[in-house]
Amino acid sequence: MRRRILLTFLLGSVALALFLALTTYGLTKSNLIQQRIDSSVRTSLSNAQDVGRELRSNPASTQSAQDSLRDNGVQDYLIWSDDEWTAGSPSTMDPASLPPDLASQVIDDGEAASQIARVGDQLGIVVGWNVRNVGAYFEFFNLDEAEATLSSVRLSLVFAGLVSILLGFLLGVFAARRAVKPVATAAQAASSIAGGRLDTRLETSDDPDLRILTESFNDMAEALQQRVERDARFASDVSHELRSPLMTLAASVEVMEARRDEMPERAQAALDLLSSDVVRFQGLVEDLLEISRFDAGAIRLHLEELLAAEFVRQAVAVSSLPTTPIHVSERAEHALIRGDRRRLARVIANLIDNARAYGGGEPEISITMVDDPEDPVTHLQIAVEDRGPGIPPDERDLVFERFARGGGAGRRTGSEGAGLGLALVDEHVRMHGGRVWVEDRPDGESGARFVIELMAMELDE
Amino acid sequence: MGHHGGVGTRILAVEDDERIRSAVKLALEEEGWIVDEAESGEAAIELFHRTPPDVVLIDIMLPGMDGFELCRTLRRTSDVPVVMVTARNDTHDVVAGLEAGADDYLTKPFAPKELSARIRALLRRIRPSINGQHQRLSFGDLELIPDEGKVLRDGTELHLTKTEFRLLCELAESPGKVLSREALLDKVWGYDYFGDGRLVDVHVRRLRTKVEADPANPRHVVTVRGLGYRLQT
Repeated sequence: MRRRILLTFLLGSVALALFLALTTYGLTKSNLIQQRIDSSVRTSLSNAQDVGRELRSNPASTQSAQDSLRDNGVQDYLIWSDDEWTAGSPSTMDPASLPPDLASQVIDDGEAASQIARVGDQLGIVVGWNVRNVGAYFEFFNLDEAEATLSSVRLSLVFAGLVSILLGFLLGVFAARRAVKPVATAAQAASSIAGGRLDTRLETSDDPDLRILTESFNDMAEALQQRVERDARFASDVSHELRSPLMTLAASVEVMEARRDEMPERAQAALDLLSSDVVRFQGLVEDLLEISRFDAGAIRLHLEELLAAEFVRQAVAVSSLPTTPIHVSERAEHALIRGDRRRLARVIANLIDNARAYGGGEPEISITMVDDPEDPVTHLQIAVEDRGPGIPPDERDLVFERFARGGGAGRRTGSEGAGLGLALVDEHVRMHGGRVWVEDRPDGESGARFVIELMAMELDE
Repeated sequence: MGHHGGVGTRILAVEDDERIRSAVKLALEEEGWIVDEAESGEAAIELFHRTPPDVVLIDIMLPGMDGFELCRTLRRTSDVPVVMVTARNDTHDVVAGLEAGADDYLTKPFAPKELSARIRALLRRIRPSINGQHQRLSFGDLELIPDEGKVLRDGTELHLTKTEFRLLCELAESPGKVLSREALLDKVWGYDYFGDGRLVDVHVRRLRTKVEADPANPRHVVTVRGLGYRLQT
């Protein structure tokens, strides 16, 4: 698009420059020549009148006429008198060089005439006058001067033409940029919307053509935003509505649990199923609410500085596997992270839950600093390694999707669905400006290694 | 009589959803508490005066007078411990509930066991004395008598809630020393490392409006940025 606009402008300016130069040159040329003809006619007429006067008073010789012409500074002439030619001296003219049709027109027909002709090696105007009863007078005016003027006009026209082509090119660059700008802005806005900033809109424009684009773009963004927000609100509303019955369920189950001993065995088994699923249900509703808060952009982190190792130990202590071993490198022991304590604890808890469900027993946690001298920012990694079947490379991104159960058959062993746990891990870590991914265990044994990388500061101790 | 609750400890549960109210009452009674129910703020106030409870549990979303308003009304005449029940744990509801005078909060759906634990923490008696009997501690114009639960400023008695008083006592136990939010959460509310620091911040703010001559420029309860709070003369 940009190239096409540029090309159009360039071709247009070349055509325009060419047209203007040619017409200007043509007009200047005919004008100059016409002027020269007019002045030649005037000058030669007065000279012819002088010649006629001299010849009439002295018909025998042309000498007095020649003297008079010489006094006037005229050289390039021919006088035809008594069937004889007399030429000025020195003269570029001689009778042979006179255009024959001009000569016959003047001498035989008795008319005045002029003609552009080449005399000797010069181009010029030959004007002929019939001097009544005594002969004829011809004078030559060269066009050197006009030619010089024309050549300088030619030069300036070529220069002006080049300048206007250059201007046309620059104008084309400018126009192309301007024409493409709304498209670039729209593209930027579109990618901003795709990146989650749903309230992005284009500025309305005065240009009627652009207004169609901006208005329909903004309508689309509006519809999209409403739709996304409605979906997010729906999930949030559903979860909110579920809270009240869940509250009743949780309280009632607790009453029954307190009376478990009084129940028959089969009722006890049913109660155990009921109470464990009420807990699961509760967790799911919490997760749904949390993720719909992410979708609504309503998450605000309560950031504080945390000693990473201490924080992980505390988080593990309240997780579902409080005895999970934690290995902390010497450097990482004194590292500070900036984070939302309760949300990051959820991240650790969810990773431990995931390892418990799919990872074949107790996982191990290691905390290390990332050694990258190229990176100006220090990073810390918290890795949760399990002993499950691992995750095949092509499914490693999928596990962080919502309600994605681990794909490989081996990972379906857990009775609990993965639900939103890892999706929340992903959202939380990204909210903290970090990354999370899953890889193979570095020791080559089977198992998955979930790694969280966060910015960290090292305490000088 | 159950095995967890205090002897004859009376809880007033204010909740408009009848099924939740019944289930929570059942569960709390199972824990050994005596439970009175109210379905609205207005009914709660009436019952509160007729049979004064030891703890009030208030759902924020009540028809008519809402939970914040009810809490403010009770606070005008009473320092009874109040636990708020919020639907969301977002900043607005929690902080507004604490500002209204609540001592602690829970997010729905909570386990009644958790509620019992919170109530027990709030009712925990202040240690008989900080160091010896009927001690009087002075901090400039402030005077603290832990055993009598009294705080005086320039000789005038101040009305502090139980939680505010406990917070002040914990700070007074090690004057001049900084106590972190986590430490205060543990000592005053019985929370672990993952307790909500906003509990401390809002209570410190409320405490300052009572003990400080100029709460905007606190001289006694001082914030130490990034670390916590400190009591000084």
